[in-house]
Amino acid sequence: MQEVKFRGGGFAPRPIPFAGALTLLLIVAAWQGAASLGWISTRFLPAPLAIIRALVTLVQSGELRLHLAASLSRLAYGWAIGTLAGLIVGFALGLFSLARTPGLAIVSALFPVPKIALVPLFVVWFGIGEGSKLVTLGFGVFFPTVINTLAGVDGVPRNLIRMGQSFGLSRAAILAKIVLPGALPAILAGFRITTATAIILLVAAEMIGADYGIGAFVLSAGNLYDTDALLAGITILSLLGLAISWLIGRLERWLLAWR
Amino acid sequence: MTGLPLHRRVVLGAMAATAVMSQARAAAPIRLGVLRTVSPAPFYIAQSRSLFAAQGVDVEFKFFQAAQPIAAAAVAGDIDVGVTALTGGFFALAGKGELQVIGGGLHETKGFNLTAVLVSRQAYDAGLTSLDKLGGHSFGITQFGSSFHYMLGQLASAQKFDLKSMALRPLQQVPNMVAAVRSGQVDATMAIASMARPLDAAGEARIIGWVGDYVPYQITALFATAPMIATRADDLRKFCRAYQAGIAAYRAAFLRFDAAGKPIYDGSTDAAIADITKYIFAGDPEAATKIKAGIGWYDVGGALDVADVKAQLAWFASEGMVKGPIDPDGIIDTRFLPTR
Repeated sequence: MQEVKFRGGGFAPRPIPFAGALTLLLIVAAWQGAASLGWISTRFLPAPLAIIRALVTLVQSGELRLHLAASLSRLAYGWAIGTLAGLIVGFALGLFSLARTPGLAIVSALFPVPKIALVPLFVVWFGIGEGSKLVTLGFGVFFPTVINTLAGVDGVPRNLIRMGQSFGLSRAAILAKIVLPGALPAILAGFRITTATAIILLVAAEMIGADYGIGAFVLSAGNLYDTDALLAGITILSLLGLAISWLIGRLERWLLAWR
Repeated sequence: MTGLPLHRRVVLGAMAATAVMSQARAAAPIRLGVLRTVSPAPFYIAQSRSLFAAQGVDVEFKFFQAAQPIAAAAVAGDIDVGVTALTGGFFALAGKGELQVIGGGLHETKGFNLTAVLVSRQAYDAGLTSLDKLGGHSFGITQFGSSFHYMLGQLASAQKFDLKSMALRPLQQVPNMVAAVRSGQVDATMAIASMARPLDAAGEARIIGWVGDYVPYQITALFATAPMIATRADDLRKFCRAYQAGIAAYRAAFLRFDAAGKPIYDGSTDAAIADITKYIFAGDPEAATKIKAGIGWYDVGGALDVADVKAQLAWFASEGMVKGPIDPDGIIDTRFLPTR
């Protein structure tokens, strides 16, 4: 008789602490090295040190604080508006037959519309002030939230719901104790996408009429071909994305501790 | 040759290569980047009347929507020469040694109402009735470092109002600027005559002054890429001669004035308009009126106002929009066209 070897294991990637940061650092170091040695022309691709110098200038002049304050408040409000509306609509589509098909048709029709193309319209409708910027961000966040929420609600095992019903739980209790926790992983995964979407749309939102904001700063630096400042702004956007992604990771660990 | 910077070596290499291929490349067209507006009219006339061909060069127009992409396209190697406003972005690219200003173009001058300062009705009624009162108001521009930004800065020093006290609103595109002033979302902006006059006539906005009456300014200039100058200087000279012939035709058609200062329009004007409408306003029944509204001063022979280019660079640098020391003489090449 042939011995059957143990074939389980694998398919379970573990996080290696610091490997992510180390990878990024190594890439930046290699880039700086290549630039210092003259392998990469720094005329149109500034070296990391030049970008860091531009960042330091931004911090010292106090400009960064103004840009960040403007952008963070837009991100917070715009994302919150889009997420709240998206959650409400997503749950409605997931729970009510009457909302589902018509709602899905509308979402499918509007989701692929490039939000940047709508910015001029938003400007006419909501003005060049904060209104059009929040709407641009909220609109971009809304659709992925709807789709993820809907998928989350659909993914809740029906037998758990049936079990709750046979135990005589009220509709509200089933929603709060079974559907919401069951949909939460998908919703939180959606947050990762929507926060990134909001950061991407920040540049579009701040295209029209913004004095301050990281997006406006990046656009202005691009127009002036100030490549150091341009990449400094992009670095800030990237760091912002990392910070928010880390926050969502903490949120997931806290909210999904029951898993 | 070891001491030469890399790009110089590349250019020299390209020169050697061109020398070998000069027979084959003789027919390569010169790609000219222009805005699809009236401002490059002498080039349209020169092309329409085969003045470039008469000099033995083939010119191909590449049309752009805004000034900035023309400079970027030149750096990327998509065009060889361009006519554009010298924006902050242009100076940043030229400062890296990629572009050289070689000749003059359209000028804002007293008497030619090219660019209007347009004020919203609300702001006008609230007392913004002259240029010196612009301080403290919101103002729509396309982008920081654009020609509008520069003209406003020049108006500020001429009319003694504080540019820093104004809220500049970058709106990316001219139609947005006009829409914003119509709806009162900005107090003021700038617009070309053909856009500003109808709004003023309809009472939707008010013209409170013309830029050229207060700040003479070389709006556009002719530039060439460093490789074009290094490898095809002869072709560039021929190109410039045809440009000068185009300017002569333009001046004969549009820049003759009677004793009262009124422009004299005759058969040569109509002929020039017919040439220009091959490239812009084709089929537009209002074409002649629109073209006449966009006519501005061109110096004889396409002379470059070197002092004005230097003044522009100095202003952008003083506003922090052009970083690092840029030697103005390093971005101007006066071997191809005369200077003012």
